[in-house]
Amino acid sequence: MENEKKIRKENVKAAVFRFAPLGGLILLFGIFMALAVIKDINIPYSFKNIVNQSVVVVVAATGAVFIYTLGSFDISLGASLCVSALIGAMAYNATKSLPVMLLTCVGVAVLISLTSSVLASVFNLPVFVTTIAMLSLLSALALVLIGANGTGDVIQVPAAAVRGINNVWFKLIILAVYLGMCVFLFDFMKLGRREKFQGGNPVCAKLTGLNGKRLAIAAFAIAGVGVGLGAFLTITYAPTLSRNTASSVGMDIIISIVFGGMPVSGGARSKIYSAVIGALSMTMLNQIMLALSLDSGVGQIVKAIIFLLVVSISMSNSKGNILPR
Amino acid sequence: MKNGMKLTALLMALVMTLCACGTKGNESTASAAPGTSTEAPGKSTEAPATTAAEKTGPDDSKNVKIGVLVSDVTSAEALAFRAYYEEYIQKQYNVTFMYSDELADAAAEASAIDNFIANNCKAIISFASADRPAQIETCESNGVYYAVATGTLTDEQYETYKNYKYYVGAIGPDLMTEYMAGYDMAKYYLDQGFTKFGMFGGATPYYTEMHIYRAAGMLVAMCEAGKGTYLGASDMGGMIGAIYGAGCQLTPAKIGSVELCGYVGGYDFDDAWFGKLAAVANDPNVEVLLAVGSGQTAFAGFKQASQKLGDIDCYTADSVKLMESGTLNYLAGKFSASIGPIFMAVLSAVQGHPIRNAEGNAFAIGQGYWVATSAEEAKEYYAVDSSKTEPAYTRNMLDKLYNASYSDFEAFVKAYSFEEIKGLAK
Repeated sequence: MENEKKIRKENVKAAVFRFAPLGGLILLFGIFMALAVIKDINIPYSFKNIVNQSVVVVVAATGAVFIYTLGSFDISLGASLCVSALIGAMAYNATKSLPVMLLTCVGVAVLISLTSSVLASVFNLPVFVTTIAMLSLLSALALVLIGANGTGDVIQVPAAAVRGINNVWFKLIILAVYLGMCVFLFDFMKLGRREKFQGGNPVCAKLTGLNGKRLAIAAFAIAGVGVGLGAFLTITYAPTLSRNTASSVGMDIIISIVFGGMPVSGGARSKIYSAVIGALSMTMLNQIMLALSLDSGVGQIVKAIIFLLVVSISMSNSKGNILPR
Repeated sequence: MKNGMKLTALLMALVMTLCACGTKGNESTASAAPGTSTEAPGKSTEAPATTAAEKTGPDDSKNVKIGVLVSDVTSAEALAFRAYYEEYIQKQYNVTFMYSDELADAAAEASAIDNFIANNCKAIISFASADRPAQIETCESNGVYYAVATGTLTDEQYETYKNYKYYVGAIGPDLMTEYMAGYDMAKYYLDQGFTKFGMFGGATPYYTEMHIYRAAGMLVAMCEAGKGTYLGASDMGGMIGAIYGAGCQLTPAKIGSVELCGYVGGYDFDDAWFGKLAAVANDPNVEVLLAVGSGQTAFAGFKQASQKLGDIDCYTADSVKLMESGTLNYLAGKFSASIGPIFMAVLSAVQGHPIRNAEGNAFAIGQGYWVATSAEEAKEYYAVDSSKTEPAYTRNMLDKLYNASYSDFEAFVKAYSFEEIKGLAK
């Protein structure tokens, strides 16, 4: 009897922890709506705003979940997005074709991602080490590209060229297609299960015959597609690109994934929806800070405390002795 | 149990932070509303609040929310501008300023504008220039007034946007003013017989026009004094073209009888960058160090006692101290109240009285620097510039610009020197 009670209590606790990030997002949404009514905020414009501000991070971070599931991480995603966008913009200016720009953004981002993972395989290094090197390399490459383009300190796509696709529905369609692909690969294909296994216990995974390097290359390729789409959406929203383009995206990806309840160590508890929930929560939190007219420094402190809170909850739930099923 | 305590501690810290901030936010908003118990003390003594019925000045009966786009939130100049708006203007008028975070790129600017529009800001004053055309277009399509502070549009941009209904205009140092600021500073030292220079080019390598024009001014002054050329150029147009032609990467060179002994550009803030600055300052040949901006950060720590230092920046307590100690000898600085007239033009437009030029277009008015060559001058300027009760442009002075004719408005803005402003105040 007591055992049953204990098991039920544990199950309830597990369910609470599992849905805590989603609950957090719903809570933030509720607070935002209350503030919107009290402070006379333009709600339809705010929704459009939330989509515009979160879609790039959602797309890039959803792909990055594959990397995080392996227990690794890529610190160069922001720089990769910047370089992909710059080369994509140059491709548009050369061809005046939006499909060419899209393909260039995705192609360059995948190439950069694959370079990171292949270099790690060749030199037998942890992948995140090569991504640190890539971060420096890509930052320098961004400056070289801008200099070589010969148009001052920016590379621009004419605003009129992207005005037609700079709308919420187009962005949501891109997000839905990519998210659908990632969910299918992560939750319904062998790839996702293998990645979780590899991230949870690399030794066992190796002993059962899984090829860790191949899994890493697949994860980085999928993340590259997300980064490329993020680069395309960045150009759509703000077609003037500089060396600072996407400078905060790298960190936003990490924060969003963790904020969405993804375990830092990857493995079986990894969830593909973490990035969506995390990025939307972060954007909602920013909107709340703005509505409260909080000083940006104070806002950062509040975010840091919430971040610690979320990680603490996440860690406290993963300290059990039994492996998750 | 332990975990529970940790979580409780974190939650308490969060609640305390939010409570503290909520109070601060409320105070700020309350202080902006005249007639309330928290009204600023100086408000009632200097200029009583007017009502819509009186029509003699700004309508203080309804709060106006204004968004402020800032690409820099930590420099002394940015802090001084913010202090003028938040600690003086916001207490004098029924307005609330909503500041953006630091905006690194065009996407951040677009997000900040969207945030302002969602929060029902009626106007936006911009200190950020990553993509001004996009800012203007977004404001125009959403019916939000837009103005440029401390800068101007390019000629091409002005021609495109001058007749936009919601584009108010721009006040700030135009590129000619920037060029002359650099030229005058170099000439000041050349006239004293100095011929060996070290230069800090600031954001010149990043193609920042403001710094390129200041650097060009300095180099042309050197060409004229030394009867030589730099990169084959010796006049304004040629020099600017030559700088762009060199990829905005300047190098030391002999310019006739004058010599640019050392040059550092960029804002790397790493050991190598500081090392290069130290090398220029430690060159025994260098007599004068010139900076297109941030010269106090770049050179003040390395400068030798015998060297002179000139900078184009702003008036702060630190710059006054440096002038008193003889570390800084020439300062062309922006004054914080210089953004007062653009605020009044915006408020006037929001309240239905836009100020347009003779052709009915948005205005573009140049505004220059206060130049101090002695500690006494710098102290006098700073005393006025940092005042929270009697700044350079007070409410009494700004109220005269409300619904003013373009010629009156232009004359007021163009009389920007310290002495002229003192005259206007009387």
